[in-house]
This record gives sequence, C-alpha cells and structure tokens, in this order.
Amino acid sequence: MKSLWNRIYTFRAVWLAIALIFLFALPSFLSLGHTSLVIEMLILAVAACGLNLIMGYAGMVSFGPAGLYAVGAYTTALLIVKANVPFGLAIMAGPVAAAIIGFLVGWFCVRLTHVYFALLTLAFSQIIHTIIFQWYSFTGGDNGIVGIRVPDYIASINHYYYFTLALTVVCLALMWMIGNSSFGKTLQAIRENPERAEFIGIHVRIYQLAAFVLSSFFLGAAGSLFCGFNRNVFPVYAHWIKGADIIVVCLLGGMYKFLGPFLGSILYIILDKVTVSFTEYWPLVLGLIIVLLVLFLRGGIAGFFTEKFSATTIRGSREER
Amino acid sequence: MVIENLIRQFLSGLSVGMVIFIIAVGLSLIFGTLKILNLAHGSIYMLGAFLCYWLTSTFSTAPGIFWWALILAPIGAALFGGVIEVVLLRRIYGWHMMYQWILTFGLVLFVGDLCKLIWGVGYHMVSPPWPFKGSVNVLGVFFPSYNLFVMVLGPIIFCGLWALLRYTTLGKIIRSATYNPEMVNALGVNVPLVYTSVFMLGCWLAGLGGSLMAAMSAVTLGMDASIIIECFIIVVIGGLGSTLGAFLGAIIFGLAYTLGIVVFPGVAIGIGFIIMAIILIIRPWGLMGRPE
Amino acid sequence: MILEVEGLTKSFGGLMAVNKVDLQIEDRELSSIIGPNGAGKTTLFNLLSGKLRPSSGRVIFKGEEISKLSPREICLKGIGRSFQRVNIFPRLSTFDNVQIAVLSEQKKTRNLFIPVRKMVREKTKEILESVMLADKEEVLAGLLSHGDQKRLELGIALATRPKLLLLDEPTAGMSPEETKKTTELIQEIVQDQGLTLILIEHDMSVVFRISEKIRVMHMGRMIAEGKPEEVKANNEVQKIYIGEEA
Repeated sequence: MKSLWNRIYTFRAVWLAIALIFLFALPSFLSLGHTSLVIEMLILAVAACGLNLIMGYAGMVSFGPAGLYAVGAYTTALLIVKANVPFGLAIMAGPVAAAIIGFLVGWFCVRLTHVYFALLTLAFSQIIHTIIFQWYSFTGGDNGIVGIRVPDYIASINHYYYFTLALTVVCLALMWMIGNSSFGKTLQAIRENPERAEFIGIHVRIYQLAAFVLSSFFLGAAGSLFCGFNRNVFPVYAHWIKGADIIVVCLLGGMYKFLGPFLGSILYIILDKVTVSFTEYWPLVLGLIIVLLVLFLRGGIAGFFTEKFSATTIRGSREER
Repeated sequence: MVIENLIRQFLSGLSVGMVIFIIAVGLSLIFGTLKILNLAHGSIYMLGAFLCYWLTSTFSTAPGIFWWALILAPIGAALFGGVIEVVLLRRIYGWHMMYQWILTFGLVLFVGDLCKLIWGVGYHMVSPPWPFKGSVNVLGVFFPSYNLFVMVLGPIIFCGLWALLRYTTLGKIIRSATYNPEMVNALGVNVPLVYTSVFMLGCWLAGLGGSLMAAMSAVTLGMDASIIIECFIIVVIGGLGSTLGAFLGAIIFGLAYTLGIVVFPGVAIGIGFIIMAIILIIRPWGLMGRPE
Repeated sequence: MILEVEGLTKSFGGLMAVNKVDLQIEDRELSSIIGPNGAGKTTLFNLLSGKLRPSSGRVIFKGEEISKLSPREICLKGIGRSFQRVNIFPRLSTFDNVQIAVLSEQKKTRNLFIPVRKMVREKTKEILESVMLADKEEVLAGLLSHGDQKRLELGIALATRPKLLLLDEPTAGMSPEETKKTTELIQEIVQDQGLTLILIEHDMSVVFRISEKIRVMHMGRMIAEGKPEEVKANNEVQKIYIGEEA
C-alpha cells in the first residue's frame, strides 16, 4: 500500500516537473499573442481555484466572486495611479484588500445557507460594482482607470508571463497545501454534512468564514495580476456576469479535483478564442456548452477522467447535496 | 416644483414597480413550486419584449396591433418556456442548486445571443397603443396614460393570480405540489404536467412584462441582465414563493428607486442591492416568506 | 451521577414531544430507552445533544448545565451521539469519515499546511478496527452497505472520545447476524473504555442483552424505569406493547 502511494506520488512529481518546464519554455515557441493568452489562462486559473476553495471544497455556492476579484484589481490600480506605490507592493496589497473585504462580506454571508447565501454574495458583489461605478472621483467610474504603469523589467509580454507564472505557481502551491491539509478536509466534511460536522465538534461557521477569506484572497490576487496584465481596470470586473464566468470555469474543469479549475480555465480560454474566430456568437456557443455540460458532464473534465479510471465514485444522484 | 417632481417620481415608481411585479411574481411562482431559481427568467422577459416589438413593427398598419402583440407575445414566451422546461429543466429537478443555476445561466447566454442573432443590437421603441397615447393630469402632474394603465394592470394581475391559487382546483393542486409533490403524484395528479404549467405561467408573466415594458422603455440587448437582478431584489424583499410578497416588494423597490434618485442620486442606483442585503441579513425569508 | 435531567419539556406548537422527563444516569451505566414510534425518544436525544433547545427543564452533565449549549459545545463536553438515519460524510472515504472526527477531537483541524493523510493515522485505524471497518478504509462512505454505514456512524461518534454515548437505533435495518455482531461490538467498546451508554432501540434482543436498566417512554412521558425483568413484567408497558413480542 505504502509503496503504491509512493509510486503515485513520484509519478505526480514527475508530471509536475514536466509541466513546469513546459510552461517555462512556452514563450520561446509561442507568438506574443498566444503568450498573452496563456497569461490570461493562468490568471483565470488562480481565480477559479480560489473560488473552488469555497465551492468545491466547502460546498458554498457564491454568485459574487467578481466583487472580490475587482477589489484586488482596483486596489492595485488605485495604489499605483493615485498613491504612486511601487508595483510589487501594489500587487501584494490587492489580495490583502480582497481578503479584508471578504472577511466583512463573508461574516454576514456565512450566517445563511443555500440560495440565501448565494443571493447575499450576489448583492454584495453588485454593491461593490455600484460603488466602483458611482464613485467617479475616486475610481473613475465608467471610464475605469487606464494607463497603469508597470515596471520596465516586466513590461514586455514575455517578462510579464514569467512574473505571472511565478505568482501563479506560488498561489496554486498554497491552495494545494490548504486543500490537502486538515483544514481542507474539514471544509469537505462541512460540505458533505454540516450538521454532523457540528456534532463532532467543528465550528462550521468559523471554518466557512475562513474559507471565504482565503478564497477572497486568491480571487483578489487574480484581479491584481490582471490589473498588471491589462494595464486598465473597469467596473465591469465586479459585475455578476463576469463572476459567472469563473463559476463556469470551475464546473467545466471539475470542482472536486484540485486541478479541475486549472484545466477548466485552459479549456475556457481556448474555446473562447477559437469560437470567436468562427462566429461572433460566442455567448450562444458557450451557453449551449454550459447546458450540455451540466446535463451530461457534471464532474467536469477532471471528473470525467477520474471516473473513467476509478471504480469507487458516487455518480451524481438526485439527492446530491 | 419639488412636489411635482416627487409626485411624478412616485407615480413612475408605482408604474415601473407594477411591471416588475408582473415579471418577478413569475420568478417567485417558479421558485416556490419548482424550487428552481430561474436565471433565464430575465431572458424570457427580453424575448417577450422583442416579440412584442417584432409584431408591432412588422404589422404596424394593422389596427390595434399592440393589443394583439400583448396577447400573442406572452403566449410565445410561455411556449418557449414550455419547451425549455420539458427538454431541459425536467432533468435537473432535485439537483444541487448550483447545477440548476449554472444551467439557467447557460440559457441566459444562449437566449440573449439568440435575440442578438435575430434582432440585432439596436435600440427599439414601441409606441403606446390607442387609447393610451397621451398624458393625463394626475395630482397636478402630467403623466403618460399608458403608465397609468400599467399601474392598474398590476393589481389586476395580482388579484387574478391570488384567485387562481386560492380558489381554483389548479391553484390548489399547484399549492399542494409545492408542499408535497410525492403525495400529489400518488393521488393521481400528473405532477410533471403541473410543473410544466407553472413554469409556462411564470414565462407567460415574464413575456407579458416584457411586452408591457416595450412601450415604456427601450427594447434592447442587456435588458435581461438588469431585470433579473431587480427580480431577485423584489423576490428577496417579499419572500421567495410569495405572491403578495412580490407585490409588496415591487412597490417598495419601485418607490425606493425612483424617490431615491431624487434624494440621493448616487446611492439610488445601488439602493436595491442594499435593501436586498439588509433583508437577507436580518430577515432572509423576506416580508411574507416563512423561515425554513 | 453523570447526567441529570429535570423536568425536560419540548413542545412544538401544541404538541408535547417530550413532557416533563426526569432522568438520573449513573456513571458507566448501560441503559436503553424504549417506546413506540413517536414516543419522543429521538427528540429526547436531540435535546440532550443540543440539536433542540428545551421549552423548559434542565439538562446537567457532569455537574454543569448544558441545556442551552450548541451541539458543538456539547460534543466538546463529552457527549457523543449517533443518528437514527445514517448521518455520515458520503463522498469522503470511510477512513476520512473517522479521521475528521479524530482530528476534531484532537483540535488538529486548523492546520493549513501539513498533508492531512499523514495525520492521526494510527488512532483512526484503531477506531476503524474496533468497528470492524478496517478493510473498507478506502471505500467512499456513501457506497458502504447499510450495516457498515451504521457501524461507521458508531465509529464517528466514538472518535470524539465521549464519556456519554447516545446511540439512536444503532442496529436498525440490520440482519439478525449483523445485529448480534454489532451489539457485541458495542458492549465490548463501552466496557473497554468505561463509557456511559444510553441506547434507543426497537429490537428487544439488543435491549435485553446490553441494558442494566430500561426506561420506557410513551407520548413524551417517561412512564417506567427499572431493571429489564421489572420493566418486562410492568403492566402499563405491556399494554403499550400489545402485539409486540419481546
């Protein structure tokens, strides 16, 4: 048993090494345009994995990841443009701000369950959107904040790619550790049966709040990274429809496997760019894909592969919680 | 002048509120009975509006075409909804809310883009029909008579729904199926048919709201996203599943919004969400809902 | 006395689910509560374990009043409970189900960085062995047979190191063989660890095998209590159980 475990583990480590080398070498054989795309994938992966901390692990369905993402993006943007804060600090401040807002929002939200929880996260996300949109003097309102300056050594696409790759690896590594820790296991137990979790001594709400804060941190990190990538931020980042994209990515890749959202983001961006080259009706295609996905492939891509290779999965049942 | 403005805003709030009520009560009914929070409800509304526009512009010379459109467009929306329910939603009853939500979100994208495909990206206006073409003097203010018509239609629809649910056999079946679908099924009632009927009723209401709104405001892409949020706000205020709640919620929201714009323009845009958040925090089941 | 219950009452609207119940449970006592369906037995457990708040009356555990505490706080005080309807973590493995309870008991759930599969392995295996599930570690809990799931229920409750164990129909739905096996298991564990046990059961063979004392509930009231033979001979009890053989 132990040797089998070891084998799978080293197997995984080898794959990880290969993947990292591959990602590192990518800019050398990709065009700038494509490298840009991969940056977007990485950032989306961070956001989706961040969201998955509460969705896949803790089973809390949030309609409002966009708000926290935007907090990260705008915090970075505002610090650079209004306060001349060095880029490095501004990027780090984004997730911290998002975590703080996440704490405030989450404190109210975790007192609710199911559809009420989801609706409150939506309300808060839209409140954030409204604040950004309306506070013209501070946030630039509808015009957003443009022309954000980024230090020269990461100004080029390739250099920003490496910067993003490094931070993405750090974020994913942290989330991997958190997911595999006893804290992560506790979240899963809460997802499976919050009542029983209480009865074995777990303070469910506090864990849910902690998960919400961590999730907000990584969503904010993704927002900050995107701010540096796009050099502009707009209120639409906080709109719930943008948030829905992140949720779809989680579903597409598979919520119950760590790498699910990562795969989902790759697939999502590829689908987006490919479809857009054929037709202007990308939402039509995406809508159709989403419907089919929910009906036939609820475990997402990762779930699909796992089921194929494993005999001990519980298929989605009507009583699925 | 200030009084005039306030009166105008008050009337405006009521009339807009009534249209949104008609749409939101459909969402509430669907959630109450089918337990699905249908994100695509706004899309059906938009479809109804576009159908209304299409009918009135294609047959613009026919007399009373708007009234015809008002009858036909909601039916079209209901039929579309029926197809969706039978083909898609039936498979996902009882699934985790998240899957239901994401599926209906997929529909939002699909239907939204479908409208773009068929009707393009422009703004379209439908003119109010005879006999409501002009303005009348109400409380010293000139106010479009069409809006008054809508304001009166709201309570009529409310009473109609109330009577349907409370006094007809169908209504009783719907209410029983809400509480105990297995039992109702065991009694020989075709529960899937009931579900389809409720969904179609909800879509009919959404389509009706869209047709009514077409003569009050522009018909354009994006109206689905804005209305669905407003419906959520109203349904939260009033309580998910409650008809009376939706009615009260719509009035509260309509007035808060239009009066708020006069008093605090910056905040008013977000007032709906703030009220929604407050209600969810202190009384999640809304004014008329029942705590779980 | 490990548990004292005074005048415990729970009413739902007009219905008195539990009606002025008094209990004195000695340390290490093994007792059962029996009674027809709807007598209020599970409601009593819900009150003792914190799932419900009493309408009136008190629950005192080890000298401390616990009537108004939450299930989590009561668990931490040392009351463990299993449920009538299987209440496990279905998509976690059997191992994980028990492990999470062990982690919680040892206050190790807050860790963010150590891989969880390295934590508390021995203790978890110990418990799994004691409920005869050691060979089913990797199986997802939702896929276990009913009997195994009931034993997993027991395992999870035991993992929290309770002093007082409330078991709600632990052998419900089991075959006679499994029932015998599980009953012996419960006896062994409870005696090994010096636990106090209160059992809700409908299967009289289990009740008579394990209990030193039996209490009978009917319509929310405690109507009889005493040694098994006494209760068996009690006329009122017999009246309630007309048609039911012991």
